[in-house]
Amino acid sequence: MIDFHTHPVLIREFAEKYPNYVRVAREVFNIGNNFQPLETFFLQMDVAGIEKVVLLPIACERARQDPVSNNEQVAELCGMSDRFIGFASVDPMAPNAPKELEFAITELGMKGLKLDAALQDFDLNHPAVFDLYEAASSLGIPVLIHTGMSWAQGTPLEQGQPLLLEQAIRKFSKLHFVLAHWGWPWVWDASALALKYPNVFLDTACLYYDGPIEFFQFVFSKQIPTTLIERSLRNQVVFGSNYPRVEIKNMVKALRSLGLTEGCLAKILSTNAERLLGIRQ
Amino acid sequence: MIIKLERVKVQSRKSEEAINITPNVDDIVGKSGVKNGLVNVMTCHTSAGLLVTEGIPCLEEDILTHFSRLFPEEEDYHHRRYLDFDGRMGFNADSHLKSILGGIQCMFPIENGKIVRGSRQTIYFMEYDGPLERVYLVQVLGE
Repeated sequence: MIDFHTHPVLIREFAEKYPNYVRVAREVFNIGNNFQPLETFFLQMDVAGIEKVVLLPIACERARQDPVSNNEQVAELCGMSDRFIGFASVDPMAPNAPKELEFAITELGMKGLKLDAALQDFDLNHPAVFDLYEAASSLGIPVLIHTGMSWAQGTPLEQGQPLLLEQAIRKFSKLHFVLAHWGWPWVWDASALALKYPNVFLDTACLYYDGPIEFFQFVFSKQIPTTLIERSLRNQVVFGSNYPRVEIKNMVKALRSLGLTEGCLAKILSTNAERLLGIRQ
Repeated sequence: MIIKLERVKVQSRKSEEAINITPNVDDIVGKSGVKNGLVNVMTCHTSAGLLVTEGIPCLEEDILTHFSRLFPEEEDYHHRRYLDFDGRMGFNADSHLKSILGGIQCMFPIENGKIVRGSRQTIYFMEYDGPLERVYLVQVLGE
């Protein structure tokens, strides 16, 4: 099983090694929990039954002074364990952004691109972003983009609207777009994009009130019907937890509480992610 | 008068777990130099605990099972919301309530450089919200 959405922001070893790591966790990513040894990360995966996780950095240094983890740090973690799958993040507004991405993929071994328009402060339809999509498409990697609400301070909600991505989704029909957080609260918009465009995927990393099971029960059975996932989107959904904002085990439980068939769960928890990552055809 | 405080890290490996810390506490008392006095042990957490009971696996299991029966994970808790000061969701009210019920500290007398406790009494660090690296304090006071 693969968790497609985690952030390596509370790792004790990095807090001790990298001077700005603590400030970024507290002031940019906006998380107040204790830093934990790397071992805790693996144990959190173990109790959730998760074999591998995707690590997501955010290259927001232009907008927020420092990145929320950088590509080198993610590569360092991936070098420590094959349970980590690293994504790269680059600032689309940087003049050499496509080259930076190419370096991260070909030299650092990253497997995808992570973008967050609100935290990185860019316009989703700026031509420079499309240049980056072009590069990602050529490299054959997926792009995971923050959609929906963000807890990071100073980030406008409107930049998380899934429909802002439609132009890019249409133009780059071979490029796989993973809409993080299922676009919540715009879950219908995100779902409609996935229904209409086969190159759109959705991750389940959404929890904004109540507990995970309560939230999933409402969003994925009342806000949108569970049958939409089971029947129509089963090949386009990947499991994501948003750890460490939420423990992985709780999000797995929430997903399992929906009453999806084992076949559908297997796709969401494993197969779809493996296809996106090129592990499986 | 000797007063010594030690901060001890413990890595829990499961969501819930009873971890026997008696040998560690014995060791700290033994090395403290205190012959007669008191030792106080406490957790630094509000979703973990510290308690004393007979040190057998069936009781460890009973404590965790019945605490969970009293405070189920899925319940109508107010503590199920976004915590802005933490930047994350809080939905572990059951863990906090178990910590309150089981307690967070214990105290034993020290005589002739050793803890005085009943032959069955075992000190447990109780994890209710793991796995996490945790810290407990051992303070030894005396002469």
